[in-house]
Amino acid sequence: MPRRTPKEELQSRVREIERFYHKNGRMPSYAEIGDLLGFRSKDSSFKLVGKLEKLKIIIRDKKGRLIPKSLGMPVKVLGTVEAGFPSPAEEELTDTISLDDLLIKNREATFLLKVSGDSMKDAGIMPGDMVIVDRGMTPKSGHIVIAQVDGEWTMKYLEKRGDAFYLVAANVKYKPILPKSELKIAGVVTAVVRKYM
Amino acid sequence: MDNQPLTISSFPQAIMHIDVDAFFASCEQAIHPELKGRPVITGRERGIVAAASYEAKARGVQRGMRLFEVRKICPDCIILPSDYETYSLFSVRMFEILRRFSPDVEEYSIDEAFVDLTGLRRSFHGSYESIAENMRRTIEAELGITVSAGVSLSKVLAKIGSKHNKPNGLTVIPGREIHVYLEKLPVEKVWGIGANTTAFLKKHGIVTALQFAKREEDWVARYLSKPYREIWHELNGRSVYPVVTETKNSYQSISKAKTFTPASTDEAFVFAQLSKNLENACIKARRYRLAATRLVIFLRKQDFTSEGVEIRLNKPSSYPLELFDLLRRGFERVFGPGELYRQTGVVLAGLVPENGIQDSLFDDTARIEKMSKIYESLDGISQKYGKHTIQHGASLPAGLQAQHEGERGDVPVRKASLLKGENQRQRLGMPMMHIKV
Repeated sequence: MPRRTPKEELQSRVREIERFYHKNGRMPSYAEIGDLLGFRSKDSSFKLVGKLEKLKIIIRDKKGRLIPKSLGMPVKVLGTVEAGFPSPAEEELTDTISLDDLLIKNREATFLLKVSGDSMKDAGIMPGDMVIVDRGMTPKSGHIVIAQVDGEWTMKYLEKRGDAFYLVAANVKYKPILPKSELKIAGVVTAVVRKYM
Repeated sequence: MDNQPLTISSFPQAIMHIDVDAFFASCEQAIHPELKGRPVITGRERGIVAAASYEAKARGVQRGMRLFEVRKICPDCIILPSDYETYSLFSVRMFEILRRFSPDVEEYSIDEAFVDLTGLRRSFHGSYESIAENMRRTIEAELGITVSAGVSLSKVLAKIGSKHNKPNGLTVIPGREIHVYLEKLPVEKVWGIGANTTAFLKKHGIVTALQFAKREEDWVARYLSKPYREIWHELNGRSVYPVVTETKNSYQSISKAKTFTPASTDEAFVFAQLSKNLENACIKARRYRLAATRLVIFLRKQDFTSEGVEIRLNKPSSYPLELFDLLRRGFERVFGPGELYRQTGVVLAGLVPENGIQDSLFDDTARIEKMSKIYESLDGISQKYGKHTIQHGASLPAGLQAQHEGERGDVPVRKASLLKGENQRQRLGMPMMHIKV
């Protein structure tokens, strides 16, 4: 490691004191500065404080207690500036969400369902796919829903004609279903998952 | 005098008790919607009824009944193997939904909760009744299971309320109406009052909960011990039992018992079952950083009689390796050759915090250190690859026979139909709906 210049040395010492101030909400005593920076005597602490006072980084009150001046700003600085290309890791990645968060809105109301039929194939839902079903959502026209029509379970688009709801497949093989007696919706399909390997 | 209210304030505090109706069977009906309205029971792998839907109960099916009896009285009953993984997911979700309404939720059991609603009327712009009804509705809409609930001034009264109108009911008991609900309630139906106390109270002319609640305080103080004095206060609308919100982080004892079918006479197999229970109990103890000072072993025979022994440990432990010798000795005491066994169980009792264990002068500290290292890595491996990835040799014969043999389909659907990427040990933490679409 290259030797640090006196300036760098001083900066690192100030940073140590800053860290203490943030952590404890108060300035360190002379003895604590000694512990912090590895000084052997309190005299070294005293000299450092004198230096910092001259630089207007800290001041001393009447009783000699330290008061921060241009130090210990409570604002958290966004990373540190370094030469070269900055690491994008921390700040850029704080606002990302997981795949779970993306696919699931209301965790407690979410269920999985394995698809066996091909009635929604033109909507991109194939036999063997997993669909994510939200039971708590209010179904609206245009949603893909899991529904019970006249005793039979099915997955279709929910459509509205006038006041009446009916079900439409995404496959020309199947005709629209107009419920004769009853239409019960068990949930709304919010996503489809297909895992290849 | 009986129509005199016990208290005149309606809701100095509001405690809600929620109980899922026929929990395991309801979960099955929620993930198999075609089973709604039909008699459903769970427990197929155990050969007895673990839970029965209300439709099955209406036909005379009761908990603990043997399956051949069920088939006799209710031939169209749907008998399913228990799917504890799914039930646990439903349980966790119910508590999460309740926490949307109040932070003070006590997870009393897998399907029961207490919620402190005090002070919530303002933020929800409505009565305690409407808040409670809203909670019930949300659970039903999102999970597809119904719950029964009671709202009153204390836990004991809330519990009376939730039992009052089952299934799918809500009973609100404000202070000035407590006496109405207690008047016809036999005192033995009150939470915490058992057969002995009931008999004792009867001798003093107390038959109903109201008669008990109306006794003078000095009578109660003279004749009854603290728990019953507390119940007496609770019945009078003075809340003594707080809603405990911390999730359980301490246990007094941990027990693990498992049934296997068919029953077995094979000594190595039965011991392996016992050893597996010991491993499981120890895993749980270590998770909570606890160690046992007593070990209880029991074996249950085909005729449902059990025998057991209790062993005092020289030093608290949660490491199977240290306990195997004792387990073996205890097992030999109770195991009878030629007997048919259907269940084994292990209880770790007298639990103490792991870090408080005092090593004795004669302990080999190097060995203790080694032991803790072995189990630390073992627990790490389990976390990554699933429980029992590595197990003790003594437990291996448990694999000689499937846990439950005989009828096909004794494995819950969730475990039988794995998704790509899932394995026998680890699956997605989300319940599956079983609908053919």
